[in-house]
Amino acid sequence: MMDSVRDYALFLLDPSGKILTWNTGAQRLKGYSASEIVGKNFSVFYTEPDRLAGRPATFLAAAAREGRAELEGWRVRKDGTLFWADAVISAIRDRSGRLQGYVKVTRDLTERRNAEEALRISEERLHLMIQSVEDYAIFLLDPSGHVASWNAGAQRLKGYKASEIIGEHFSCFYPPSEAVSGKAESELETARTTGRFEEEGWRVRKDGTRFWANVILSAVRDRDGRLVGFTKITRDITDRKRAAESLAERSRQQSATSGLGIYALQTRDLEAVMVRAKETVRETLGVTEVRILEPGAVAPEGWTSAVLHGPEGGASSFGLVSVFADHPLNDNETAFLQVVANVLSSAFARARVEDQLRRAEREALEERNRTEQAERALNERDEFISVAAHELRTPLTALQLKLQGLERGLSTAPAKASQRLEGAVRQTERLARLVDRLLDVSRISQGRLEMMHEQFDLAALVRQVAEDFREPALEARSPLDLHIADSAEGSWDRLRIEQVLVNVLSNAVKYGAGKPITVRLDVERDKVHIAVQDRGIGIAPEDASRIFNRFQRAASIRHYGGLGLGLYITRHIVDAHGGNISVRSAIGEGSTFLIDLPRFRAGAIAGPQKTPQARA
Amino acid sequence: MTAGCDKTILVVEDDIDIRDAIAEVLSDGEYRTLCAANGAVALEELRTARPTPCVILLDMMMPVMDGREFRALQIRDDTLRNIPVIVLSAHAEASVAAAQMNADGYLAKPVDLNQLLDTVEQFCARDPRNKTG
Repeated sequence: MMDSVRDYALFLLDPSGKILTWNTGAQRLKGYSASEIVGKNFSVFYTEPDRLAGRPATFLAAAAREGRAELEGWRVRKDGTLFWADAVISAIRDRSGRLQGYVKVTRDLTERRNAEEALRISEERLHLMIQSVEDYAIFLLDPSGHVASWNAGAQRLKGYKASEIIGEHFSCFYPPSEAVSGKAESELETARTTGRFEEEGWRVRKDGTRFWANVILSAVRDRDGRLVGFTKITRDITDRKRAAESLAERSRQQSATSGLGIYALQTRDLEAVMVRAKETVRETLGVTEVRILEPGAVAPEGWTSAVLHGPEGGASSFGLVSVFADHPLNDNETAFLQVVANVLSSAFARARVEDQLRRAEREALEERNRTEQAERALNERDEFISVAAHELRTPLTALQLKLQGLERGLSTAPAKASQRLEGAVRQTERLARLVDRLLDVSRISQGRLEMMHEQFDLAALVRQVAEDFREPALEARSPLDLHIADSAEGSWDRLRIEQVLVNVLSNAVKYGAGKPITVRLDVERDKVHIAVQDRGIGIAPEDASRIFNRFQRAASIRHYGGLGLGLYITRHIVDAHGGNISVRSAIGEGSTFLIDLPRFRAGAIAGPQKTPQARA
Repeated sequence: MTAGCDKTILVVEDDIDIRDAIAEVLSDGEYRTLCAANGAVALEELRTARPTPCVILLDMMMPVMDGREFRALQIRDDTLRNIPVIVLSAHAEASVAAAQMNADGYLAKPVDLNQLLDTVEQFCARDPRNKTG
């Protein structure tokens, strides 16, 4: 039976320790065969030092004395290798109690021994590791929350040395307000009941400064579930928290500046953009005072400013955006202010460009208008020259015929000569009058049409002019019908008023279509009304307003000659007298020209006087 | 000689000075002159005048009825159609106007007396009524 045991070396020793028996387990364990080892002392299994120390003898003595002895230790195999052995030696005694020998059982515990060693090393390493961790505070609390261990990280993080803190309650790590509110105890309670508590929050260092901590508190229980304490791992994540906060701040600022940018793009109202920019800065930075300063202006003492850079980084700026804040602005806030300044700069730049564009457009338009006006004036001038040439040719034709006829007839009919010459002189007078009208136009356009006032009877003048027209009117088959007041004394320029009457009457004859023409003159206390009415072709309403303009006529040039200046000059003469001329007309029914003239000039002294033309 | 034109000229011209001047020089040349201030008066004159003129001197721009209208109506009238018309115009396009109106000639203002007399003479000589005499 003993032989067959393989896992234990099981053999007998005599009282001196000599090996008496050997089994399979012993052979497997120690490498010796029975023939090699039986009869040798069991001390061969011990290491040299153990043998020198007399351990085998001591072991036997102990077994003899106690009846049983157990010893663990390194043993040597036949091939010299070591194994960790657990040996039990039991004394064998006979009935009288005399020592007969020993039975020895040896087990190979190398593996167990190795595992225990590894565990020990591992624990030691863990301990060292925890001790040396600097980035985390890792420490133990006893079940009531007092600090039981301390590591390098804890010292670095919280500033306490192990000697200063071990035994203290961990609530001293909390800000005073939280320490008082019992937060530490409630966390401990949570860890106790749920096994774990985790949070982020402010913690206080030995020197009173704060840091943002990530804290994990875990309950530690023994095999029986009894609470032996807590592990506490604390990390300083202030930087992470700051980074996250900074990110959130930047994102908030960016969304604010995006909003402002979009608004600036959508509105063309620079003032509105400035108001919005100030609001954005106020709300985003939480400041109360924001100003946008003109270029060259200086922000008040203690204000923070960002420059509204000019376009393309030019030296000139659009000014400053300045804020008054109760704290120095951080990098994000400074950058944000600059972005707002940049948005404003682009808005200013765009407004400036748009302004320039608008001005250029306006100038182009004005230039075009000027060009068109000039072209129109040139066309009018061309037409006028052509009309004037025609008008001048008429008396020239008569003059030429008369002079040539005179030349030819001198020899044949000298008697007619003086009559012919008279006619020729009349034509030169007519030419002179035409030239006078042209000069009048020139005077009017230069504002130099002057009135020579004198006292006379306007009723007499109207009668005289009407008399002059009697013959041409009859020739045109338009009898003159006169309703003229007996007298109308007043102060006017006699020649100019005569010119007016001639113009209006010749128009009436010219366009009167052979129907009667009525001339009226009525006197009031300080006014004279003259009306010349024909019943001819009339003027269309759309033409009535322009006939008083230069080179304008309502009638077709095909039928009616003339310079087209008569009513233009007439209007200016009437205006210069402080009077008024108007026309009432309908196509096919004739026209009535109404002239109102003040009898005396305001504050005027009787007698000839120069009056500069009222309007050019 | 009853049917002859008797060297009668019709002057249609709104300007009284020109009309008088033409009448004056034509009377020197022993012509009889009829005058009209516009086309309408001229048509009236033609329908009553005996003998009918051998040539018409016609101004273009006139009130009531201008030269073109007169010419158009004259051509439509069988009794008047054959009387030759000389356009009298101050306009540079006198020749063009004369062609458009199918007139027999034109005189540009200011009119040269010799040209006027030559033209009038020519048309009077051409008149069949004068040849029979």
